[in-house]
Formats: sequence, C-alpha cells, structure tokens
Amino acid sequence: MSQIGVDQWVEQSDERRDRYSGWTAPARRAFDKLPTGWKLVGVLGAAAAFPLLVPQGEIRIGITVLLLAMLALGLNVVVGWAGLLDLGFVAFYGFGAYFYAIVASDQLPAHWPTWVAIPIIVAAAALLGALLSLPSRRLVGDYLAIMTLFFAQIFVELVRNFERLPFVSEDLDLTGGPNGIPGVEAWDLFGFQINSFKRHYYLLLILLVVLIAGLHNLNASRTGRAWRALREDTLAAEHMTTPVNKLKLLAFVVGAAIAGLAGSIFAAVQVGVFPNNFALPFLITIYAAVILGGSGSIAGVVLGAVAIGYIPELLRDPGKAGWLFYIGLAVMLVVTMKRWQPIAAVTIGLVVFGFVVRFVSSAIWDESIMGTANDTFISRFVDGWVLILGEQQDLITNYAFVVAIAGVLSVVVTRGWLRIATLIPTIYLAILVWENKLALQPSITRQLLFGAVLVVMMAIRPQGLLGTRRVEIT
Amino acid sequence: MSAILELSGLSKSFGGLTVIENLDLAVESTQGGQVSDVAIKQGEILSVIGPNGAGKTTLFNLISGIYRPDSGEIRMDGRSIVGRSPEEIANLGIARTFQTLRIFLNMTVKENVMAAAYGNTKTGLWQSIFRTPASRREEREISELAESKLAFFGERLMGYRWDQPAYSLSYANRRRLEIARAMATNPRLLMLDEPAAGMNPAETHEITELIGRLRDEVGYSILVIEHDMHVVEGISDRVIALDHGVKIAEGSFADVATDPQVIEAYLGYGAASKK
Amino acid sequence: MEFFLQQTVNGLTLGSVYALLALGYSMVYGILKLLNFAHGEVYMFGAFAGYGVLTVLGGSSAPLVPIWLMILLMFVAAVVVSSTIGVALERFAYRPLRNSTRIAPLISAVGASFFLQAAALLLFTANSRSYDAPNLIAIQTGIPIGPIRVWMVRVMVIVTSAVLMILLTLWVNRTRTGKAVRAVSFDREAAAMMGIDVDKVIVITFLIGSALAGVGGVMVGLVFGRVFHLMGFVAGLKAFTAAVVGGIGSIPGAMFGGLLIGFAEAYTTGYISSTFQNLIVFALLVVVLLVRPRGLFGREELVKV
Repeated sequence: MSQIGVDQWVEQSDERRDRYSGWTAPARRAFDKLPTGWKLVGVLGAAAAFPLLVPQGEIRIGITVLLLAMLALGLNVVVGWAGLLDLGFVAFYGFGAYFYAIVASDQLPAHWPTWVAIPIIVAAAALLGALLSLPSRRLVGDYLAIMTLFFAQIFVELVRNFERLPFVSEDLDLTGGPNGIPGVEAWDLFGFQINSFKRHYYLLLILLVVLIAGLHNLNASRTGRAWRALREDTLAAEHMTTPVNKLKLLAFVVGAAIAGLAGSIFAAVQVGVFPNNFALPFLITIYAAVILGGSGSIAGVVLGAVAIGYIPELLRDPGKAGWLFYIGLAVMLVVTMKRWQPIAAVTIGLVVFGFVVRFVSSAIWDESIMGTANDTFISRFVDGWVLILGEQQDLITNYAFVVAIAGVLSVVVTRGWLRIATLIPTIYLAILVWENKLALQPSITRQLLFGAVLVVMMAIRPQGLLGTRRVEIT
Repeated sequence: MSAILELSGLSKSFGGLTVIENLDLAVESTQGGQVSDVAIKQGEILSVIGPNGAGKTTLFNLISGIYRPDSGEIRMDGRSIVGRSPEEIANLGIARTFQTLRIFLNMTVKENVMAAAYGNTKTGLWQSIFRTPASRREEREISELAESKLAFFGERLMGYRWDQPAYSLSYANRRRLEIARAMATNPRLLMLDEPAAGMNPAETHEITELIGRLRDEVGYSILVIEHDMHVVEGISDRVIALDHGVKIAEGSFADVATDPQVIEAYLGYGAASKK
Repeated sequence: MEFFLQQTVNGLTLGSVYALLALGYSMVYGILKLLNFAHGEVYMFGAFAGYGVLTVLGGSSAPLVPIWLMILLMFVAAVVVSSTIGVALERFAYRPLRNSTRIAPLISAVGASFFLQAAALLLFTANSRSYDAPNLIAIQTGIPIGPIRVWMVRVMVIVTSAVLMILLTLWVNRTRTGKAVRAVSFDREAAAMMGIDVDKVIVITFLIGSALAGVGGVMVGLVFGRVFHLMGFVAGLKAFTAAVVGGIGSIPGAMFGGLLIGFAEAYTTGYISSTFQNLIVFALLVVVLLVRPRGLFGREELVKV
C-alpha cells in the first residue's frame, strides 16, 4: 500500500477522471487552457455582437434566448441550489408580466413610470414567492411539487376567468380574460425608450450580466453554501445552525423576483400578455433549459437556455429544421454505434430498404408516392426513396409514428445485429414521419423534443451538459 | 462543576412503545460561558451504553430537537430547551454527529465545515451579492475557521482534500469530517453518535485519543454513544447504561461494566450470576 | 332536494373515476416513491383508445355490434393501450433511474408526460372528440332514485369502479402477488432479499395502475363526452390530489380521496360556479396537507436518523 502512495493516487484522481478522450479532446483541452477571463470576454463579445450581425427579425430569437436564460437562472436558484422542486415557477413570470401590463397600458388605465413600476413589481413577485414558500416548511419533494404545480395552474385560471374580480367591482377589467392585455407600453428609462428589438436585446444582456455576477457571488457566500447544505440533507443542515425555513423562503423569493423582472420585460417585448404564455409548456421549456445545461451550474443553465431557446426557432424554418433533423439523426447514429462498420451497414441498409419499400408500395398503391416533397435541399434528395404520401397521409403517418417510437424503444433494449436490423426500419419510419408530418408542425415537434430531452437527459447524463455529477445515498 | 445539560423525568414513546422512560441525566461542565482559556476549564465525557434498541439514539434526537419529549424537561445551563428547533438548539451550543453519517456528500470537504458556520455569521443577502468588504472579511474568517477545525485531524483532511467532494472520502474520514463540521458550529456540548462504528482497530484507537483531545484541548463537554467497550473505557469520565429506555446503571466505567443489571441487559437473564 | 341528489350522483360518478386514477398514482408512489406525472396521459390515451374502437365499429349512432359488446370492447382496448404505455414508461423512463437521485425520475416523468401530450396532439390533433354516449344508451334509461333518474351509464360507472376497487383490495390482501406488492412498497431491499422479484412486482403495479386509468378514461368519455389531448393533465392533477389527500400509498385512502374530490367538485359546480372548481380542490389540498401532511389515511413516518 505504502509504495503506491494512497494520497498521491487520490490527489490525481480528478485528473484521471477528466482526461479527455475521443475526437473532441483537443478542442476541449485547448478551451480549458484559456484563462476564465478570456472565455468570459469571448462569450460576452459574441453576445454583444449578435444583433449587429443578424437581420432585424432574428434579434427576436436572441431576446427569447436571453429571457429564457434569465428565467433559467432564477429557477436554478430554487431547484438547482436549494433543491426545492418548484413547479409553480412560471406563475411568477406571469405575475410580473401581467402586473406590468396592467400598470403600463390602457387596461386600468394606469401609466406608471417604469422606474416606479419595476421595483414594485419585483418586490411584489418576491412577496408572492415568500407566500408560496410557506407550504415548503412542511412539505418536501413531490408534495411540494404538486402544490406548486397547482399554484401555476390556478394562476392561469385566475387571469383567464377572473378578469372581473368577483365581489369587488363589475366594471373593473383587470386581466382581459382569455384575450389578455394588448398594447403594453415600452420601458421608458428616464426618457430613453426601450422600444426596438435591438434595445430590448441590450437591456436584457446588461441585466443578465449583472444577474450572473450577483448570483455568482451569492453562490460562493454563506447563503449559497447553506442552500446547498439544505439540498444535500435538510435535517443535517438544520443541526448545523442553518435556519432552513428562512433559507427556503429566501430561495423562493430570489427566484420569484428574477422571474417577475423577466416577466415585466417580456410583457413589453411582446407588447401584450396572454394567459397561454404562462401555461405548462413554457414551464417545461424552462425546466428543459435548466436540466439540459446542468442544474446548479450558472454557465450550464445559460448554455441550456441558449440551446433550448435557439433550436426550436430553427424548427420554424423548414430548410433549417431539415438540416437539424438529419444532422441529429446522423449524430445519434454515430453515438449509438461508435464504430464505422455498423454505421456503414445501417446507412447502406437504410437506402436499400427505402428503395424496396418504395418500389413495392408504389406497385401496390400508387398514392403512396403521390405527395410532394418538402421544398428543401435534403428533402429533395430523400424524395427518391422515402414514401411521400398523397392520400391518407395523416392516418398512415400516425401509424408510422407509433411504430417508429416503438422502434426507438426496441433499439434501446436490443444489441448487436438485432439492433442494426431494428435500426434500419426505425430510421426509415422516422424519416417518413418527419417528411410527412413533423416538419410541417414545428410547434408540436418542439414539444416532443423537449419532453424527450428531459427523459433522455435523465437517463444518460442527469447532471446536464455542464453540471457536476451528484451522488445520493437513499 | 455545574450541569451544562440536564434531563429530568424524560419520557418518549412511539405508538405505545416506550423508548425513553423517566430518564434523569446530567452532563457536567466546569465552565459557565463560552469556550475560552481552555487549559483549566474543561467539561466531562459521559458515555451512554446499552444494547441495540435501548433508546440511545432517541435520547440524542430528543436533546437535539428532532423529537419532542412526551414528558420531562431538558435544560441547558438551567434553561429549558424543550420545543425548540434543532437549529436553535445548535445555536445554543449543542452540536451532534449522526450514527448513519449525514455529511453533505456533494459539497467539498471544506464547504461541509464552512456550512456549519452559518449560525455564527451574519453577512446578509445583499452584502453577499455585492461582495462588500465586510462580507469578504467574514468569508475569510469562515474559511480560516474551517481550516483550523480540519487541521485538528492531522493531515487526513488537509491540503488537496479541502476541494474534493465529500463523497470521495473514506468511511473513517467521513466520520472525522462530521466531527469537524460539528465543531464549526462552536458548541459547548458535543454529542457523538457511535464515533467508532465501522472503524478498524487502528482507527478506533485514534478516535479514542481524539475524543480525549477534544475535551482536553478544546474544552467541550462530550456526550457519546458507543458500543466499543475499549473506547468507552478509554474516554469516559462517567458511564450510564440504558436498557429499554430505562437507566439501569450510572457511575465509573468499572462500576457500570460490572453491574449485574448491565451484564444481564447485554447477555441475557442469568448471565451475571454465572460469571 | 332534486338538485342536491343530482349533484351527489354527479360527484359519485366523478369521484369513482378520480378514485380509479388515484389508485394508479398511489400504488406507484407506494412502491417507487415516484410521482408518476405521466399517469394522466395514460388515462387520456385510454379514452382515445375507447374512442377509436367506437369509431371503427360504426360510432354511437350506428353501432355494428351489440351495445354491451361495444362497451366491453372499448374497455378492453383502453386497458390494452393504457397498460402498454404504462409498462413502457416504467421500462424506459423510470427503470434506468432506479438508483439515481430523488429528483431525476420526477423530471423524467414530467418529460414523459409532456412527450405523450405532444404525441397525442400530433396523432389526434387539437380537436376534442365526443363519444356521444346518449346516442348509444338513451339518457332516459336508468334507475329512479327518489325524484331523479340515474342514467344507466352512470350506474355502470359507479358499479364498475366499486367492483374494481373491491377486486383490487382483495388482490392486494389475499393473493401471493398482492402480498409481494405490499412487501415491496414497505421495504424494497428487504423484499428483494426475501426472494421477491422486485422488477416484476413493479411492472405488475404499473400494469394494474395503468389499466385502471384506461378504464377511467373510457368512463369519462362515456359520461362526460369530451375526449381531447389535454384531458389527462387536469384530471391527473386532481387524481393525484385525491391520492395525496387520502394519504399517498394507501389504497383505501386513494378511494376515499377520489370520492372526496369528486363530491367537492360536483357541489362547487352545482352551488357556486364551475370556475371555482379547481380553486376549491386546491384549497382542499392545502388544508389537508397543512393539517395532516401525510394525508387522511397516511401513516406518520418517523424521521430516521
């Protein structure tokens, strides 16, 4: 034992673990060698240059991404640091947005100056957060999750159904009901109107940088430590002089305040608010960003927000969406197969399979190739061997979709040649479904994608892209 | 000597099963106030022994505030602490370790200890966010505190180990870390729940010495649950024995170890007479 | 009086369905300590499966088979579809996470629920469908109770649920497998050491829970008509609330909780307004949890230190 040098061995264990392998290794090593300062400058520079480099319309995507990053950072405080599963988070976002919309539009009508409205909104959101933290005193885990989820649900219902406060006044229309509130005014910072995409983008970028700096400091402070201790073992933390209830409250408050601020900007960007902006799908989007990037890591959740915010925007453009789909397919093939022989086998098998299916199918029923392919580069290429249905498109692709999912699941559990044999028809069906249906329905595709991201990430890399792996003894 | 901790007539039952019954107990300490001038002032080491299920850990849970006693009093420095939360009790100066080891696995070794300084520090949220000079000063102090507590265990928890996640530590080191963490709360009474459990003979020997040093060098009063009779013999000023929640013996190790009731509790009815 | 009776029957019907759903939540939670968020979606797919059979066999206005056979086939289809999805969920979304952190399976469940919702949207579009059951069984047929007449379909729902729940209780308490289920939910590791095939028990639990959800889906379709891709979310939320209120992990608790939520909802709709429905259920949840954090039938768990 003594010759090996136990301490030395332990000392080097991190190095051994982090030794990069595979084709990305050189790039990752080079990136690691860069000083942190330079990395930050690089990222910030790229973010600042973004609006100058892209067309006006695409700045909107940047705004979406920055808003999502802000929300992901807020959620990260509650879920990633304090370990409280808050499924009501989106309600604070909605609260901030509605609050701003109500006080800065013709709804009341009130036209509060921005410098008055924003602090009040943030404080009110924080207060609401404090209120929602009360159940967390006694409820943990799933119980808290269900209660907060209900809270989010109730919020949407309230703004949708109770535009006229019952028992108060019949004339007062507060939330606009299902129609929401249109015509929300822009932020006006002492005469400077935040009224263009570009200005919104830079406002958000500045706020985000300040927020990241503040959260970074907070994470390294006694409060951050106490949150983590709480997440690791609430009972032990309590025995180590941590006031757990106060810290839970603080986590909810910080998260809610950030979400409230983001909401008030969102209302101004969108020039209006609608109940559906704050429903479950958006909550899942924020969670997907946090989980994908790595819950607990600031850089991680920002990266997650960029990925989750940007990729779906690509889906809107059929051309880019096509590239995304096929590249994703290829990457997945490479990742699951690893060696080139089976990859080649699958690719050749796929094309042969495709031609056979097309030949047989068109001989039996010629409607099966009568459809027009999507007008994109790859789709035209694919048109030669994948069925593009004319009649009955919906029905047949529905079956293909179900079978394709079953195929994907069987690929997960099969090995060796059986796996390759399952993979070929599965990929074929996936392409068929994509060309006939998914490419045409970007919003549904996005939902499918987010749901799948959550499930797959949990199975293969629960710590997310940049998170650190956690152990837990149950 | 005055009592730092005093239990009188303490009882607790779970669903009809009496776990602690009418227990009186006192932990003595020569000192009234904060730990200072360590050389002369020191507390005592009181060991609690008893077979499994005797109510030892329950006793700890009652003192540290996890459970509320059904009846009886728990007093610290003469003031009742019944009904207070674990956090308040920890802040009053009672720190504990856990039989099952409850360290913060995914935090670094040093962070584990630093986290326990929460109650004795006061940097607020805003100060932390803006990293004011005061907050930086306090952070340095916390860091030094943690390092000094970890240094108590020799080289084992020093240097590169500070920045390693706690889950990477060996079992014995986790036990040590838990003690270091408890020390960081600045307690006067330290409660150790089976500190030698799962350790090999060499480590057991080391922990025996360590507990002695905790009393002699730092001046804690120590309440310890232990099964290993060599450890108990080596450290205890006094020993009490529990069986089915009832105190069956109290006194020096020699007295308690030869008490017929204690032998019976461990070995069964009639064992004492055969010996 | 007539109105009150009407609402009571309403609550009983609704409550029976919630109870069936709540059982699925409760059983899975009892065994895996997992909140199976996707359970509502399993129920939704069950309802769609029933609709599929109905449509293929001629619809409610021109059924091709006798009505009793039609309804039986609908239930069978729902059970098959729902339990397939439930078992697949367990195998692919939850089993890989058996030994991971506490939060991982929950996130996975949220993701699976979202995926299934989107899949339903893709397959069935956003239009809601109707079973149009009054065409199948005239609304006038039924059993008279005092001043009102209880529609046959409602009678069937209430009776079927009651029978299923009795069967489930007997199964859990009397059969070997049922006992294994209880053993696993009590202590999974110890059960494994006693030679119980834990994986098998978990699969069976998902199978039964999902099958009950599928039955519930068809029942809702028959009584309340509307079937759509979002129906699982709200119903799931309420059924889970029922399970929590009753004391999660407890089978009688789930039944009682389901009925309680059903009645609360029916009376709120009847006497106040349907917009308050969810608010009342939520308030009920808050109150019960604050007073009894383990639910009405739940056992207080000791803090193990």
